[in-house]
Amino acid sequence: MPADEDLAALLPRVALSDRAAFEQVYRATCAHLLGVAFRILNNRERAEEVLQEAFVNVWHSAAGFNASVAGPMTWLINIVRNKAIDALRAGKTERVSTIALDDEVLAVAADEAQQPQELLDQSLTKLRITGCMGELGASQRQALALAYYRGMVHTEIAQALRAPLGTVKAWVRRGLDKLKACLEAAEVRRGPLP
Amino acid sequence: MNYLLPDRLDRLAREYALGTLAGPARRRFERLLHQTPAAMLAVGAWQERLASLASTVPAMQPSGSVWRALEHRLFISSARAASAPTRPPQWLWGLLSGRAFGGALAGVLLCALLLRLQPGLIGMEPESDVLPASYVGLLTDAAGTPTVLASSKRHGRRLTVKLLQPVVIPAGSVAQLWALPKDGSAAFPVGAVPVTGSATVALADTSEKLFFNVSRLAVSIEAAPAKAGDKPSGDFVLSGHCVKLW
Repeated sequence: MPADEDLAALLPRVALSDRAAFEQVYRATCAHLLGVAFRILNNRERAEEVLQEAFVNVWHSAAGFNASVAGPMTWLINIVRNKAIDALRAGKTERVSTIALDDEVLAVAADEAQQPQELLDQSLTKLRITGCMGELGASQRQALALAYYRGMVHTEIAQALRAPLGTVKAWVRRGLDKLKACLEAAEVRRGPLP
Repeated sequence: MNYLLPDRLDRLAREYALGTLAGPARRRFERLLHQTPAAMLAVGAWQERLASLASTVPAMQPSGSVWRALEHRLFISSARAASAPTRPPQWLWGLLSGRAFGGALAGVLLCALLLRLQPGLIGMEPESDVLPASYVGLLTDAAGTPTVLASSKRHGRRLTVKLLQPVVIPAGSVAQLWALPKDGSAAFPVGAVPVTGSATVALADTSEKLFFNVSRLAVSIEAAPAKAGDKPSGDFVLSGHCVKLW
């Protein structure tokens, strides 16, 4: 991923319609952002459409980037995730209304549960909070992974993990609480970043 | 429902940031987000936490058609449309990108002078490319970084205030924009600088009346938006020249 400082310097220039800065932001982040969209949509073509829409948005709303609210990469990931989530949900409505709901959801469920879990585990290792997050049950971590990497809502997670809706909501909530606590503890351990 | 109770706000913020907030509730919260700095900060904090999970997502190089489509949509088709530009034109970036404002300012003044002496130079341009007579202020921070752009048409009653880079505004405070007359008389309040993006400030009178004798603009941090007659309570955190573009 590109350095946040570089992006933080480029985005205000994009806000002033600096095309060269815009291209630099695109080149530096497009591969990572396409990866994020692809995890959610599981379709390269749709992920590329989302990436394009997201960058149209970046061009028009770079002035809305505020480093005191969130870092530049977070801001970009957020635009892409939101667009991908919207596209995912719009697509689902379309499919459900045009064809009878079949076993499609269940057919992909096994794979869906696997990959996000691995991504989450790798992230936790990288963040050095595997031990802390290990205090959560496997299902709680899995629910968090499905929501974050796949853009699933509670009902979909419940279906994928074959658990009651109320339980899944509690898992996600607990997963988020734990993530917050573990990140804060890791921050204290490391000391403030330079 | 009161969304602004801290617990409820945080609950919604994290569900929104994660994506599990769906349907109409998601749309409602999105609207709230644009209006409420507290909601934006709560969401920002959660997005930051969650984004730390994104670093392990395998990168995928997009095909070249994505960039080509972007270029076409943003630059080529919009240039063809030849509608009145709503974004700051390219030349303005030239004014802002220079480290030394003085150099850029000299450039702008030279341009203005040239255009005045040689109006034919612009006669061949489409009308939308001609800049309206305006007052423009570029405020820099202590390090000289361009931070706030303020602009208003000469006879307009609205001032556009745009943030070029974030300004640290302590919670509960406002960044107040002041106009400093060149005769050294007391600064008068113009409006508040937005927390993000840009904002339009309604002026008490036309720019021409208010800014004709103003040579500088400055920003101070105040506990509340200043009213007519108020004085800056502390030092200016940003300041810059206010120039006439005609």
